[in-house]
Amino acid sequence: MTGAELTIDLLSKHGVKDVFGYPGGAIMPIYDALYDSSIKHYLARHEQGAGFAAVGFARSTGKLGVCFATSGPGATNLITSLADAMMDSVPLLAITGQVPTAAIGSDAFQEIDILGMSLSCTKHSYMVERAEDLAEILQEAMHLAQSGRPGPVLVDIPKDIQMAQVPFKPWLAADEYLPELDLNQVAIANQLLSEAKQPVAYVGGGVQAADAQDELMQFLNKTQMPAVATLKALGSVLPDYEHYLGMLGMHGGQAANIAVQECDVLVCIGARFDDRVTGNLAKFAAKAKVIHLDIDAAEVGKRKPAKASLIADLKTSLPALECFVTPKAWCDVNKEMMVKHAWRYDYPGEKVYAPYLLSQLSERMPKTGVVCCDVGQHQMWVAQHMKFSHPTNHLSSGGAGTMGFGLPAAIGAQVARPNDFVITVSGDGSIMMNIQELATIRRNNLPVKILILDNQRLGMVRQWQELFFEGRYSETNLSDNPDFVQLAAVFGIPGQTVTHANQVDDAITALVNSKGPYIVHACIDNKANVWPLVPPGAANDEMITEKAK
Amino acid sequence: MKHSLILVLKNQSIAVERFLRVVRHRGFDLTHFQLNMDDGQYNVAMTVDSDKPIHLLTSQLNKLVDVKEVNLQNLQQQVV
Repeated sequence: MTGAELTIDLLSKHGVKDVFGYPGGAIMPIYDALYDSSIKHYLARHEQGAGFAAVGFARSTGKLGVCFATSGPGATNLITSLADAMMDSVPLLAITGQVPTAAIGSDAFQEIDILGMSLSCTKHSYMVERAEDLAEILQEAMHLAQSGRPGPVLVDIPKDIQMAQVPFKPWLAADEYLPELDLNQVAIANQLLSEAKQPVAYVGGGVQAADAQDELMQFLNKTQMPAVATLKALGSVLPDYEHYLGMLGMHGGQAANIAVQECDVLVCIGARFDDRVTGNLAKFAAKAKVIHLDIDAAEVGKRKPAKASLIADLKTSLPALECFVTPKAWCDVNKEMMVKHAWRYDYPGEKVYAPYLLSQLSERMPKTGVVCCDVGQHQMWVAQHMKFSHPTNHLSSGGAGTMGFGLPAAIGAQVARPNDFVITVSGDGSIMMNIQELATIRRNNLPVKILILDNQRLGMVRQWQELFFEGRYSETNLSDNPDFVQLAAVFGIPGQTVTHANQVDDAITALVNSKGPYIVHACIDNKANVWPLVPPGAANDEMITEKAK
Repeated sequence: MKHSLILVLKNQSIAVERFLRVVRHRGFDLTHFQLNMDDGQYNVAMTVDSDKPIHLLTSQLNKLVDVKEVNLQNLQQQVV
């Protein structure tokens, strides 16, 4: 068996059925082995598209996403997707071809030290130096990507090793090191909870990574604790949970942010006190004692000290918390805040109002559907105005904030979940970052839906220029955008443009009912801003609202 | 504040690059570094300087697959 055949065989044995990639010289033996295999390969039109499709596959299922690229620029084009997966803890395996071993270090054609480049954007990475190591490395790589705190792993395979005869060495994963729950810390946490008058659960992406939604909801239903979610955690708390306050942070809801600022015990569940969540860290939840639950010890105390730290899988740590019932007075205060600061959709005028459009889309699309966002204003409107019943139904580039994520991520999600409704919500800036992937949709007849909220601007940057740079709109005017419906039509994708509020309902009907891919190009006010907003350096209870502005 | 660390790494050349990148990125300056290959592994003795708490570095180093051990030494004792 050659190294290339072994690579495909091991992926197949591991249960991998779909991979995303782009062939080239140094990875040709692997593509040759793929030719006869049962693994389905989806040809992206740029390696970054392949990387993000694999991320979308992984995030919409919790399974391993796999992508292939050749050496040199093929491999470097994967870097952004690896970094994105690193920031958002996504189980990803990237396999890259490399120039033959004898040519490494000679500045050969398409030789780039991808191993060196991978160091800051992978959980781990390898270059296979000996053919006899290939089997063990591949098996370890797949294990590492999915174990503990998941993350991207890169395996760089020189072409001669792909072509060499290699032995198969079965590799048994070492017993995974999972930190044992410290019972002293559990006791401290339970003591804090028993004394809490105003507790809040701060829910992060770890719930999805640990597949711990059931354990989370059991904890919340028993405690009746008010809960807030990070961008990555949207869907983890069921939207009909009586004490759910929505997303917190820079564009979070006022009720969520105020509750956290006022709480006396903050139960951080698989979150990492990201700066977009905390605002001014010194003023964030300043009165709160923190109970931090995380599988990654390095996250505890990294940004905010914890009084109790439960370093373990959330499936173990959440049930260890005793469920003291939250005082009713605190719950009532938060319920009142939710009513007082409820979203309003009575937007005056005839223009399309993005929050209304998204709230209606959320109501009318299947509850099992997947929404893949790009990055910018539309991303925050999705987070604010759409409801999700599982974190695998909302894919958004959280930590890295990568424009161009949405379209290829939707391709990966649609491949992973062929019977589910999958839509990418994008902006006129972001969609152009990976627009070539329309060809991947068409090539594979994927029924991906596309909604572009077009303000002819780089909207979020424009908003900050308006608010914090004296209205000096440097390089944010995109009024020379192409006609997006015509552009999609070139790829055989039908659609329509929406310019008035009274066209929104019909456009949503067309999107939801279309059997194949479909695009809605919605023209929105180029002065529309995302509210509320915590300004840079401010505390989360110092939000700017539309009225205050 | 200076801290002295003893590390044991797998004998892969990339392991050294990988952990030194983390030292730099997490905001610690290297003031002393010694590396020996022994018993098929790298033994590293180093001193780092930073105004950040040392646990912010050791917790990150402990996560690296190539790093087998991280031991924090008491610098005062070592100097004496």
